[in-house]
Amino acid sequence: MDEITVVNGAKQYIVVKLDNEQYGIDITFIDNIVRLQQITRVPKAQYFFEGVINLRGEIIPVMSLRNKFDLEPKEHTNATRIIIIKPENNAKIGVLVDEVREVVTLEEDCIEKVEYDDQGMNLLGVGKYNDTLISLLNIQGMIQELDM
Amino acid sequence: MDLSQYLEIFIDETKEHLQTLNDQVLILEAEPDNIDTVNEIFRAAHSLKGMAGTMGFKRMQRLTHDMENVFSEVRNGKMSVTPDLVDTVFKCLDAVEEYLSCIVESSDEGENDNEDVIEALNACLEAGSGSAPVVEEAEVVVEKKEESAASGADKRKFLEIGIADFEKNAISEAKAKNMNVYGVTVYIDENCMLKAARAFLVFQGLEKVGEIIKCVPIVQDIEDEKFDFDFSMIVISSKPIDAVKKVISNVSEIKEVVIEDYEVPSDAEVTSSVQVEKEKDTDKKEDTKKKTTASGKSAGKAVANRSVRVDIEKLDVLMNLVSELIIAKNGLVSVSNQEDSKTSMQSFNEQIEYLERVTTNLHESVMKVRMVPIESVVNRFPRMIRDLSKKLGKEMELIMTGEETELDRTVIDEIGDPLMHMLRNSADHGLESTIDRLKIGKPQVGTIWLNAYQDGNNVTIEVEDDGKGIDVEKVKASAIAKGHITEEQAEMMSEKEAVELLFRPAFSTAEKISDVSGRGVGLDVVKNKIEGLGGDVEVTTKLGEGTKFTIRLPLTLAIIQALMVEVRDEKYAIPLNSIVTIEDIMTSEIKYVQQKEVINLRGTVIPLVRLDEMLDCPPREEEPENMVVVIVKKGDKQTGLVIDNLLGQQEIVIKPLGKYINIHKMISGATILGDGEVALIIDSNSLV
Repeated sequence: MDEITVVNGAKQYIVVKLDNEQYGIDITFIDNIVRLQQITRVPKAQYFFEGVINLRGEIIPVMSLRNKFDLEPKEHTNATRIIIIKPENNAKIGVLVDEVREVVTLEEDCIEKVEYDDQGMNLLGVGKYNDTLISLLNIQGMIQELDM
Repeated sequence: MDLSQYLEIFIDETKEHLQTLNDQVLILEAEPDNIDTVNEIFRAAHSLKGMAGTMGFKRMQRLTHDMENVFSEVRNGKMSVTPDLVDTVFKCLDAVEEYLSCIVESSDEGENDNEDVIEALNACLEAGSGSAPVVEEAEVVVEKKEESAASGADKRKFLEIGIADFEKNAISEAKAKNMNVYGVTVYIDENCMLKAARAFLVFQGLEKVGEIIKCVPIVQDIEDEKFDFDFSMIVISSKPIDAVKKVISNVSEIKEVVIEDYEVPSDAEVTSSVQVEKEKDTDKKEDTKKKTTASGKSAGKAVANRSVRVDIEKLDVLMNLVSELIIAKNGLVSVSNQEDSKTSMQSFNEQIEYLERVTTNLHESVMKVRMVPIESVVNRFPRMIRDLSKKLGKEMELIMTGEETELDRTVIDEIGDPLMHMLRNSADHGLESTIDRLKIGKPQVGTIWLNAYQDGNNVTIEVEDDGKGIDVEKVKASAIAKGHITEEQAEMMSEKEAVELLFRPAFSTAEKISDVSGRGVGLDVVKNKIEGLGGDVEVTTKLGEGTKFTIRLPLTLAIIQALMVEVRDEKYAIPLNSIVTIEDIMTSEIKYVQQKEVINLRGTVIPLVRLDEMLDCPPREEEPENMVVVIVKKGDKQTGLVIDNLLGQQEIVIKPLGKYINIHKMISGATILGDGEVALIIDSNSLV
């Protein structure tokens, strides 16, 4: 990471794919990206939680971004990944995505803030990168929603 | 540096001193002439006073000061220990404890002056010794004067301070501006507990009236308590010498302040001493630097009361095991490099066995680190029984054994209240009044035993009294009157079942409600708490001879024995301690009561819970002829859990499920199986 110089006001995002939409996750929240492993279902949890996984002896809940955004369920493929996010010091959560694409650096003026979105507090804004659009996930907002 | 960093130490040490005081005063009550005990009390009271003063808790300081005065008199043989005095002292200790709990909560001692306690103390003092204290103080002053006269010359340690050039400049500049330059040596009382804090207060005071340009030992060392009982400074101040002196001597526990106008020593002297001093200084600086970096990491934010004091030996064992673990790992690495497959297979197995041995030991040692002797909970009970004895007007004594028995820290924290409750119960309901005891020919003094011992993977704590025992008929009558059971039920009940009634909510057989016990919130709470800790309570009683409560607790909560079961293709763990039996039931044996499935198992009707439905598993296509039912219990209630398959018994490590996922209360956690798979743990208590 050190060799990538980060300009003031620019942030790095990991770009993930769900269907043909791209989402960006602020890299500072990300602890790890792991391949799909066995997920143990947890009965009666929130609908978007797939279950829990064992990550090196630690049990981490995994939510599916698809379920969260009410997208059609899709078979897991070889490209499916679990992004381990660490929003707070001693708590982790896994996010199941179809595919992890790349790391992009977005300047502040490439990001268009979204005034409102129909999915509550999920999005921070939309980033423009080359010719594509990346919806930036509001990790803290999503976590706060979980805490409620 | 501020005082808050001492607060933790203060709280810990105050607790310790309070405990010592409680213990010693109890001894004193039994043996009023024991001079060792008096000395011990005096020392503890003195330390308490000193610490409270250091931390600026004036009310606490005043109270402990008066207490110390009283014991100073006792120590000098001018007063004798009377029951009145002991009572007052206990009141005092309670008041101090109140201050302490205030401090723990809000880092402030609160507003209560406890005037009545102080007055009572002073009354004791006057009654016992008249005007003695004044004489005493005068003597002390004289002594001090003599002392200072005798060694006066040596006390000016500030003369030994080495002065560097820039400091010399500062001094001459200050003199040019008509400021005063003083050499100061401060002697701290040898009994002072927090000398660094004292020194800090001195610095703080001096900074208000002037400037400290040099201090020996260096400030860092003083903060780390790396000095004897004195330190020297050179201070520039515009204030007269007396004012500066007053500032310093206002700090309590300062034994002596030596202050004089300071003259820069002649050059030759300076250079030589500076050289030496500098060398010393650099040494020390490096030293302290190392210290600070080392301690810096571990310092962080301390969470009050979540710490465990660990015997250094236990840590050594742990360290040894970790090194063995590394050796075992290296062994495996070297085996994997071997070419010959046959020998490698054999040594591979050897290494695995070795590894297994090491991990088992490691597990055991880590558990031991979490263990705390039960003493930390029970040591407040003798005092409590004494108070109860006075309050209830019954003579009683408490005999404790096995205080060294160790339990997991989490259990220890929770067990105090239930135990206290049971002791109060024994004292209030169990033991007869002294007159009654004499009438029936029992020893005048009632006895309560508190025994603790380890029993396999459990710790057993028994609370036993030689009182009147539980009157089963009275219990039944009371239960009928309160509508818990019908008369027919009462007749059917065995003695044991009747005694179990005591654990029902809102049940008390005491005819009158006292403020000791008997408000009906009692044994059911005790039982709930202990069951919450994974333990159980049992009563045995014999009318006229006494009652015994037996509490069994698991050694630890983090690792449990569990039965692994399968529901569809998912694995679940059911804690073994809640399982009664496992039954094979024909589907045709299921009956219905109020549209709910039940089975009749050897005369007992047991409701069924289908785990697959509870856990939202996909339904089965067709009902099998046989099904496996795990019978679990909560108290005396039983429920059958229908599962698909039994996998066997296993020791599992309980892990939390993470913060963000909502879990139903029937799932108490998760565990990781040998193959890395996660299995959820069923909390059968919530299903019964």
